[in-house]
Amino acid sequence: MAKTTKRATAASARRKASTPARRAARAAPAVPARGKLERVRMPAHAARHRGEGQAAEDSNAGRYVYCIIKSERPLSFGPLGIGSEPTDVHTVHFRDIAAVVSNTPMVVQDPTRDNVLAHQRVNETVMQQHTVIPMSFGTVFKTDDDIIELLRSAYDAFTDVLNKMQDKFEFGLKVLWDRDQIIREIEEDDEDIRRLKGEISSQKGSTYFARMQYGRLIDAALQARSERYVAEIFEALRDVSVASRSNKPIGDRMIMNAAFLVARSLEQAFDARVKGIGQRYDKLTFKYTGPWPPYNFVNIRLKLERAH
Amino acid sequence: MAVERAAGGTSLIDVLDRVLDKGIVIDAWVRVSLVGIDLITVEARVVVASIDTYLKYSEAVGQVSPVSRPQAELAAHQSVIAENAALRAELAAMRAPQLAATRAPRKRRTGARRRTVEG
Repeated sequence: MAKTTKRATAASARRKASTPARRAARAAPAVPARGKLERVRMPAHAARHRGEGQAAEDSNAGRYVYCIIKSERPLSFGPLGIGSEPTDVHTVHFRDIAAVVSNTPMVVQDPTRDNVLAHQRVNETVMQQHTVIPMSFGTVFKTDDDIIELLRSAYDAFTDVLNKMQDKFEFGLKVLWDRDQIIREIEEDDEDIRRLKGEISSQKGSTYFARMQYGRLIDAALQARSERYVAEIFEALRDVSVASRSNKPIGDRMIMNAAFLVARSLEQAFDARVKGIGQRYDKLTFKYTGPWPPYNFVNIRLKLERAH
Repeated sequence: MAVERAAGGTSLIDVLDRVLDKGIVIDAWVRVSLVGIDLITVEARVVVASIDTYLKYSEAVGQVSPVSRPQAELAAHQSVIAENAALRAELAAMRAPQLAATRAPRKRRTGARRRTVEG
């Protein structure tokens, strides 16, 4: 209850801070701006539909959004929703697209392990039957009407992206190597490096320049080798995927951190190809994940705009 | 090595890597606003600010941080070498102006590493 008070205060503080123009606009709801009358009517409409007491409304008043899909009929995905007591995951529709949502308290969700995995679990479930545009974590709307308003204003964008992502999945492929092992290999293969190493270990006086030279050669050889591996792996997966993106490797063992967009029909071919690569490069470690919603291939930024 | 595929939800790091800032993203402050503000009464609405899809095959190169020097220093070193080469070319051109007229100036290479273009 304390929370409610705080939120109410925050909201009223914001209202106080609003411009005179905005206040005037609110005070005169009869202004015939397009779409506005509808918006003014909404609270009553929404309340009527909810038909819940104040307490119930308080605990589950918000709508957490997981993804956008194409669907004309209402769907339910079961009690998978985010939160300690999982709520039903269902759809909110506008024309032939829908947001996949669950009821949730009107709070900013922390990206805890449970919450993040719940978000992912819902996307994975929906993805089995539908093409999804995934929502980033933690988006809560106040009412179904707000969501419908978003679907309406972004309808063309969402439809376009849904068509582009139709029947495609994302797969993740991280490639790691054992750097020390590769350095040992390089030392065996490269005569100059071997000779320098010998000099450094046998020399009595200063080995500064030999060590500098050694370091430079090793760096260059590591770079060349990693570039070669990565280029070969990308090349091997080119004809079984639609697109790929290369993210920055994490940590110094990783040489490749990529995402591939793969057509549903080529999923098995892609899978077989990745496994083949794994056997060909027995000194590399592969972390292969998926299917994912196409997070790496869609970026839609939403912003808050004042309605006129 | 044998490569096995893991479902998306099995690695928290992989999930976090995606869900925090990819897909459909609402700015953090808007996310907070959505909680505090009644969209209807403040007459605000959420609209699309930008939209990108990445449907090309990236041509990435491996990235390895050097053993002995930080990457930044290496980059600085390479740019000095490139600048040096450019200056030498310029100097040579000044010494032989009649030649310079026929020779195109040397262009510095820029490291275009990741190219992702809207499809």
